[in-house]
Order: sequence, then C-alpha cells, then structure tokens
Amino acid sequence: MMSSAQKRAEYRSLFKHNVKGRLVVDKIAMGVVLACVVIAIIPLGSILVEVFKNGLAALSVEFLTQVPGAIGTGTGGIGPAIQGTLIIIGMSSLIGIPIGVMSGIFLAEFGDNKLGRTVRFFNDVFMEFPSIVLGIFAFLTIVLLLGHFSLWAGAFALSLIMFPIVARTTEESLKLVPLTYREAGLALGLRQWVVTFRIVLSAAKNGMITGILLAVARISGETAPLIMTVLGSSQFFGGFDSPMDALPLRIWRLSLLPYDSAQLQGWGAAVVLIIIILSINIGVRYYFATKNSAKGKLFYRVMGGRKR
Amino acid sequence: MTTVMDVQNTVSEKQPTDERKYKMIAENVSVYYGGIHTVKNITMKFKERSVTSLIGPSGCGKTTFLRCLNRMHDMTKNARVEGKILLDGEDLYSKEVDPIYHRRKVGMVFQKPNPFPTMSIYDNVAAGLRLNGVRDKKILDEIVEDSLRMSYLWDEVKHDLKKPAMELSGGQQQRVCIARALAIQPEVLLMDEPASALDPIATQKIEETITELAKEFTIIIVTHNMQQAVRVSDYTAFMYLGDLIEFDETKKIFTQPKNELTAKYVQGQFG
Amino acid sequence: MTRLIDPPLKSLSALMAEMGDLAIQSVMLAIDSYLYDKDTATQVHDISNEISKKYFQVADLTFDIFLRYQPVADDFRLIRSSIEISYGFTRFGRYAYDITQVRSTFGDISECDKSWLVEVAEKVKTMIKDSVMYFAELDIRKALTMQENEDYVDRLYRERLPMLINSQNTKCALAEALVLRYLERLADHAMFMSDAINYIVTGKHKLTKQFMVKNTIDRDFMQF
Repeated sequence: MMSSAQKRAEYRSLFKHNVKGRLVVDKIAMGVVLACVVIAIIPLGSILVEVFKNGLAALSVEFLTQVPGAIGTGTGGIGPAIQGTLIIIGMSSLIGIPIGVMSGIFLAEFGDNKLGRTVRFFNDVFMEFPSIVLGIFAFLTIVLLLGHFSLWAGAFALSLIMFPIVARTTEESLKLVPLTYREAGLALGLRQWVVTFRIVLSAAKNGMITGILLAVARISGETAPLIMTVLGSSQFFGGFDSPMDALPLRIWRLSLLPYDSAQLQGWGAAVVLIIIILSINIGVRYYFATKNSAKGKLFYRVMGGRKR
Repeated sequence: MTTVMDVQNTVSEKQPTDERKYKMIAENVSVYYGGIHTVKNITMKFKERSVTSLIGPSGCGKTTFLRCLNRMHDMTKNARVEGKILLDGEDLYSKEVDPIYHRRKVGMVFQKPNPFPTMSIYDNVAAGLRLNGVRDKKILDEIVEDSLRMSYLWDEVKHDLKKPAMELSGGQQQRVCIARALAIQPEVLLMDEPASALDPIATQKIEETITELAKEFTIIIVTHNMQQAVRVSDYTAFMYLGDLIEFDETKKIFTQPKNELTAKYVQGQFG
Repeated sequence: MTRLIDPPLKSLSALMAEMGDLAIQSVMLAIDSYLYDKDTATQVHDISNEISKKYFQVADLTFDIFLRYQPVADDFRLIRSSIEISYGFTRFGRYAYDITQVRSTFGDISECDKSWLVEVAEKVKTMIKDSVMYFAELDIRKALTMQENEDYVDRLYRERLPMLINSQNTKCALAEALVLRYLERLADHAMFMSDAINYIVTGKHKLTKQFMVKNTIDRDFMQF
C-alpha cells in the first residue's frame, strides 16, 4: 500500500519529460503555420505588386479625368469609368444596405422560428449565386422592362449581390451582442424596438461595418452583372436611365484590345479600382474610429482592432 | 460617509414603531419553465424603505422569482407566470397594465455589471431617460448627477463623464448600472447578486450604497453571501427548491430560525 | 461533510466539558471539607486555577471562531453562551476555594453546628451538577429543577442569617454565615448559567415560569 506522496511521485514519473523534443515540435508547428500564411500572402502580394508595377505608369491627371480616346491611340482616360463605379457603388449601397440590415435585424431578433429559418436558408443560397445569373435576372427584369441598359439595372443587380452578405453579417454581429444588454435595456422600461435599434445595434456596429465594407468591396469588382445591365459607355454620366461605364467593364474591354497602350491603360484602371476600394475601407473605419473617442490607438482601431 | 454600522444603529432605534406599509406584495406567484414548476406558489410582502434579501442554494428559484417582480420573464421563451404582483395595490400582471410602465417603477441591477458598451458614463446613466423621451439637457444633467451621487460614484467620475463606461473598474461599472437604474426614478430596486462579481472593497461600497438607498427605496436583493444578507437586509426570505421556507426579520433568521431547514442552510450544513 | 467550523466547535465542547467536571469536583471537595472537616484547600486551589486557565482558552477560542467563521443560528447561540457559561465555571471554582479558606482561616470548626448547612449544601451540589448536565444535554426541564432548587437555597439563606445574629459562638456563627453566603452565590451563578443555556435552546434570555412549564409539558407529551 503506497502512501499518497509516493503515489503522486509515481504519477508524475509517467509524464513524458522530453521538453527539448516538445519545444522542437512546437517550433516546427509554428513554422508550418507561418509557411502557410506566407504561401497565402504571396499571391495576394504579388498581385498587388504586379498591378502597381504595371499600372502606376499610366496614372496622370489626364488619365483620371478624360473620356477614353480612340481605340488604339493610347490617349484619353478612364474618367467615366471612375465616375460610373462610384455612382453604381453608391446606388447599390443605398438599396442593398438598408434592406440587408433590416433583414439581418429581423433574423437576429425575431427569427427564431420557421419563417426565420426559411429566410436564412434562402439567404445563404442566394449568397452563393453566380453573379452572372443575377446579371441575367436584372437584364430580364429591368433592362427589358425599361427598354434600355441603365444604371438602375446595374444598381439592382449589384444590390442583389450585396444584401445577402449584409444580412448575414448583420445577423451574426447582432447575435454576438450578449443577452445581458438587452435585458438591461428592457429593465429600464424601454420598448423592444428601442432596445434593438438604439442599444443592440450600436453595440454590434463594428461587425456590421465589416460586413458592409466586405459587401461593397465585393460589388466594386463585379463585372458580369454589369455587362448586361450597365453595358458600358465612353461618355460621362448622362442620366440614370442611360448606360454607364464602370471600372471593371473598362478593365475588361481594355484588356481585350491588342494594343500595348490599351493594356497599359487597363493596368492603370486596375490600380485605380484597388485604390478606390482601399480608400472606402479606410475612410469608413477612420470615421467610426474617431467618432468614439479621440484617444490613442487610432491606427489600431482603424485597422479593425477590438478593445479588450 | 455613513457606514453600514451607523445606519444599522439608527435602524435598531427605529425598531419599536415600524409603521411602514407594504410597498409590494407577491401573491401565490408560480413560474413554469416549459411545464416544470420552478417557483411554487410564493407569497411575500415587502415593506417600503426596507431591504429584503432572498437566500437559498443554487437553483432554488430565487432569481426566477426576483425576475417576476419586474416582468422580465415576458422576454423568456417557455416561461409562464401565475399569480399576482401588487405594487401599491395595483397588479402588475393584469391585462390592463402596460409592463413597460411598471418596469420603470421597478428597476433592476444585474449580477455582472452591464453598462452599455458603446456609451459614455453620462450616456449610460441618461440612457433610460433619453430613450424614454426626456430631452431637456438641464434636467438630464440634474438627474445624472443625482443618480451618480446616490450610487456613490459622482466624486470619482464627475471630472470626466464622457469617458466610456467600459473603461471603469468592475465596482465602478456596477455603480454606473445602479445609477442608470436609479435615473428612471423607480420606487423599487431589484438586485440580483449585485456584488458577487466584485472585489471586497467594491462589495463594501455597494453594500453601503444599498443601505443608504434603503432610506428612500424598497430594495430586494438576491444574495449567495449570507454575511452580506446579515449586514445589509432588514428581512430575509429563505427559499429551497422553489418553495418559500421561511420569511422573517434577518436577525431572527440568523440567530433563531424557526425552520430546521433554514438553520441547516444558514449554518452551511448543505448547499 | 464536516464544516470548517466543526473542529473548533468540538475543541470548545471538550474544553467546556473539562471545565464542568473540574467545577463539580471543586465544589464537592469544598463542601465536604467544611462539613466533614477535611483539608482540601490546596487541591481546590489547584483546580480553581486550572478552571481559570481554561476560561482564557475558551475566550480565545470563541472570539477566534467569531472572527473566522461568522457563525449564525445554533452555532452562534452556542458560542455566545459558552463565554458566559465558562465564566460561571470560574466562579464555581472561586467560591469553592473561598469555602475551603473558611476552614483554613477559622481553624477548628468541628464543634460547630452544621445541620442547617447539610440540606443546602446538597441542593447546591445538585445545582452545580445539573448546570453541567443541562449544558451537555440541553434538556430544558433541568432549568425548571434548577429554579426550584435556587428558590430553596434563597429561602434558607434568608431564614438562617438572622438566626446567626443571636448565636452564642461567634466563630461558628461567622464561619457559617460566610459558607452560607458562598453557597448562595454558587446557586446564583448556577442560575446565571441556566439562563445562558436557555438562550442556546430557545433564543430568549429570560424565560417565564409559564414558558418553561409549557415547554416541558409538551416535551413530556412528545415522549409517548
């Protein structure tokens, strides 16, 4: 019969004591993980490098503000495309974000039933739809109805892509807000919708903004839907009812041309598109970061860091 | 600043003529969670300007019962409440009564401090007011200061009310929550283990706050800490497995309880 | 499951039991020393000191328990009364010693008439034993018997004292007066202890006769 001290000593001796070995394994695992990260980043990095390398040369005031010149001449610019992209992002957001947010709120707060489950399911399916299908759908509904290509159709198509993403991320962010804040709100004698909109929503802000920005970035680069709705043009904005150019379209068209000057312009357009997306992201985060309190760690918060 | 002992000395002087009326009466209250009878037919009376503590082992139903008092169970699925809760004679659960209106009369402070995370101290305390339609800045300032004074936080935060509430310590956060609950001018304050997540100094401050508040409000606390119940409450209710086993003056419960189960519990012989 | 407070409570009970036994011993010896002319002075003195030492131990222990465990309900009443009861035991030892001192001081008292004292001494002995038993068993009927005995002792004390004024033998009269006094004091302290024990059982400090009678009758009924 062993004493308990002896028993414990025996148990202790059962443990593996290869500390050195385990440190090595630790390092190897770390190495593998880092390698994967590097492998993942390399293509992204190299894309950025390629694009900027090839495209920076094309940038100039003329390039950014002029209409496209005659094909093959290398003159002109992508002014209308920039304008078109900005307008169409704006319009789609105006439609897609409110609908998406409202759906997200519905699903999170009142969606714990059959209806909610059905909506959620279709939302997820919708998110996976090929964008060209949505483009065709917009073509069939808006373009054929109105009789011409237009910004309306483009905005419609892009908002269809946007709102499932926004709805999902809004729902998830709202769900992350702990129950206790809702209870505190209720205990103060506030109505359910006041609690949801004034308290829960502001607590879920960060997550929701991330979702919205993701959606915006996604639609900025969509080309297929635009082909059949906005069509593209060489003129500046001529009314919501007429076709309009957009950067993805312009890039696509330029890249198909056999001329070097066109290719260069294509790269330039790609650079501009990336810069636009980056600026929207940083700008929105900056706005919300300063809104809270003008304290330090601004950079940290702009990059999406969370307070612990 | 008044300590618990100072107040208790004055309370014991006031003992002989206790003409306080009943502020809140719970009559035959039962709660069913998905068919299970968790709170069994409880009747309790709470005097105005008194502190009543609810004690009992985990799962005995004291928090469930507490939440009936301000109709928090309306928000819980599968929960059914029966019985009457009379506040100044009016039944909170009757069809004519708007629960929102009564939640403003019966405030609640939760176990884990939960100040609204995106708001400053000022905004937190004013939240109940603003979101209920009070706009006048002067009045808001007044009430915020009054509430923070009552929860003994004013002196510590008055120089920076715009600070985010989440940057305060646990004890301070809890006092913000108390101030927030007080700001809507309730008549009864429910507290669910208000100091259990706090360090000893913060706990002491909360207890002093409770004792001061009892001069004006009716307070009902759920607590696991029996010494806290002894320090802070005038009356104690002991619950076990959903039943009310004994309800009496705190002094009597802790020196000569009538029920053997009560004696066992308070002496730590189970639970 | 033993609570943290249980071991010190046990120590306390053990100490109190020891004190009780010593108290009984000292009083028995002291009374016998006077009635039967035995020299027990040093013995009783030692016992009395022993009781005092234990009293300080009890005091330390009880306050330590209050500090650490904040006892409530039954535990609380027990510990609170233990302080008073242990003090009572020291008084028993002290008065026992005083009685033996009478013999030492007055010298030869063999010719004194001790008939009056015999009955009283018996009652006092019973009271001392009862008080210790009462504390051990917490049987409230003992309180009743003790009250009866105390009444007897008081009555006798008041009767006998005036008689001694007219006594011929000064030495015997004085000796008897002193011993009577000490016996009366012993009985008084025994009642003091009885009150403290009442508090443990009922939570009340002073019991009316009716209360005691009512409670003992209920108890007797419950036995059947």
